[in-house]
Amino acid sequence: MRLKNTLNPNLVKIGLEGTGKEEIIRELLGLLKADGKLGDIEKAFADVMEREAKMSTGIQHGVAIPHAKTSEVKELVACIGIKKEGVDFASLDGKPSELFIMTLSPKDRIGPHVQFLAEISRIIKKEEARTQLLEATTVQEVLSVFGL
Amino acid sequence: MSERMMVLVLQLGVILIVSKFVGYVFSRYLRQPKVLGELVAGMLIGPYLLGSIPLGSFGPLFPLITDSTIPVSAELYAISTLGSIFLLFDSGLETDLPTFLRFSGKATVVGFGGVILSFLLGDGITYLLCSDVHSVLAPEAMFLGTVCTATSIGITARILGETKKIGTPEGVTIMAAAVLDDVISIVLLSVVVGVASVEMNGGAIQWSVIGSVAVRAIAFWLACMVAGIIIAPFYTKGMKRFHSLPLISEISFGIALLLAGFSEMAGLAMIIGAYITGLALSQTDVAHSISTRMQSVGEFFVPVFFAVMGMMVNFDALKSVFGFALIFSLIAFLGKLLGCGLPSLLVGFNLRGALRIGTGMLPRGEVTLIVAGIGLASGAIAHDMFGVAVMTMLVASIAAPPLLIEAFKGGESGYRKSLQRPEQKDRVSIELEFPTTRIAEFFTESLIASFIQEGFFTSSIESVDPTWQIRKENTVLLLKLLKGKEDSCMVSIGCGAEDQDFVRLMMVDAMADFSDFAQTVSSMKNEEMMSAKLLMQMFDEA
Repeated sequence: MRLKNTLNPNLVKIGLEGTGKEEIIRELLGLLKADGKLGDIEKAFADVMEREAKMSTGIQHGVAIPHAKTSEVKELVACIGIKKEGVDFASLDGKPSELFIMTLSPKDRIGPHVQFLAEISRIIKKEEARTQLLEATTVQEVLSVFGL
Repeated sequence: MSERMMVLVLQLGVILIVSKFVGYVFSRYLRQPKVLGELVAGMLIGPYLLGSIPLGSFGPLFPLITDSTIPVSAELYAISTLGSIFLLFDSGLETDLPTFLRFSGKATVVGFGGVILSFLLGDGITYLLCSDVHSVLAPEAMFLGTVCTATSIGITARILGETKKIGTPEGVTIMAAAVLDDVISIVLLSVVVGVASVEMNGGAIQWSVIGSVAVRAIAFWLACMVAGIIIAPFYTKGMKRFHSLPLISEISFGIALLLAGFSEMAGLAMIIGAYITGLALSQTDVAHSISTRMQSVGEFFVPVFFAVMGMMVNFDALKSVFGFALIFSLIAFLGKLLGCGLPSLLVGFNLRGALRIGTGMLPRGEVTLIVAGIGLASGAIAHDMFGVAVMTMLVASIAAPPLLIEAFKGGESGYRKSLQRPEQKDRVSIELEFPTTRIAEFFTESLIASFIQEGFFTSSIESVDPTWQIRKENTVLLLKLLKGKEDSCMVSIGCGAEDQDFVRLMMVDAMADFSDFAQTVSSMKNEEMMSAKLLMQMFDEA
């Protein structure tokens, strides 16, 4: 239910162009900005990078979940990016990251932000779901993995 | 009007000061529950003892009200009723609803056992020992039988609450059976009043009237229980949109007051409505937060209720029937102990559990007084027998708390089976070890703050290790600080298997914040200078 309210076809990009962490993050923020969900992109970028500096959000199995709290969003927002070639995201297992799920939540607003992240994580924990995402050629195929 | 209000606030002031002080002495030095101290305080300062002494031109502070069965002013009695509503609303909040429902069948057996045996013994002993009572159907015998039946849920709830036993199988069974007892007693009272009026005035017994009163009471009780359980989760979910916990607490208490009033309209005691409201809300994630808020306000009102209960005791009326009253009190005592204890053996409790339930059902209170009061007002019983009822209440109320505390000592369960719920089996625990307790405490503090940001409600739980319950709707987490080797300390979160991803992510984020904080602290260059400046400023001349 929350996924349905948060994701839409404009917030999915197959074949990200960036070749490094910062570029990927900027590209994902660009998706949110284009969909009218983000205020100042530079401020949001600084917030995401600040969180990345504390601890990288590249997890395992090619998945990265960049997330942060920022005053540039009014509600919880999310977007998905895929880069089959992979990018070095300083992940825990040292492997390149291919699936990027970014979530931004407003500062000082109580809400199920991390629960949303956990909900997405539960889906992409399955290898089958990750394979489907990497093999997807259309936005709709990506969304269908999340039951949308 | 203004003079009556002035007297009321003076009375409340004296009640609060004396009952709080005596309650403190009882709990600190005599190792007794505070409630006993509050009852005794009421007896001491009430209209039958010190309260009737005139204070110069002001007159007595607690003048005896003679034109009513209640010896204190209507306004003081009203405030004390509010106290009982606070108490029962909070008791409902502290009861675990799933356990309550699971044990309600057993509680029905226990409740009925206690009512039937108590009524028969009370009625029988009055017929046998009172020369002017010629039949077991005589109004006097039947009223005294009914007097024996109602359990004071208030006193029991307070003791179970004070000793943290309200959630145990025995505690829940006692609470459920005591609620049911009040319902059965009120129904029984309507039957007795009907039969007694025919015995005294002649005519035929109107079973249809009696039946409709009984049906209305039972239907109200069942309907409120079912509706409350269904509506409560939607209600709290809707209320949370306002993002104000105080608002949820206060509106919930407003609902408790409304239901208490409706309960009285349906012919039941007000406390039943208050208890049902609390019970329905007990399943929600805000239950603990509401309870904490209610307790702090309740501390001002609840002692007034117990003190006023103590004020009801008329020592003079007891003199003429003291011997009978003593025997009657013992019989009433046995009626509940055996009437509730023996059936509980049949429904899965062991001997220890049966004893706990039997003693938990002993206290008598407000409903006993209501029954005796109606008997007195209708002329079915005289002042001496009213005194017997009061003494029964007194003996039970004084003897039961120490017995109940004694019965609940020791950690062993009084229930034969394990209480573990099936879903508790799929719980996992996620742990993080820290080098010192202080660091673990620091981390825990920021972790709890992150859970609150995520929309969770947290409450600390009294336990051997520092423990918090973190709850949101159906997600219930248990955070513990466990001491390890030397000074090391483990932060452990127990959660359902389906919530472990979320808990891990929360801990990761809290850890990221924490290490960032630690780096910032270690990068501070001038902390020695800051301290030195503070000390130097101490000696600066003005």
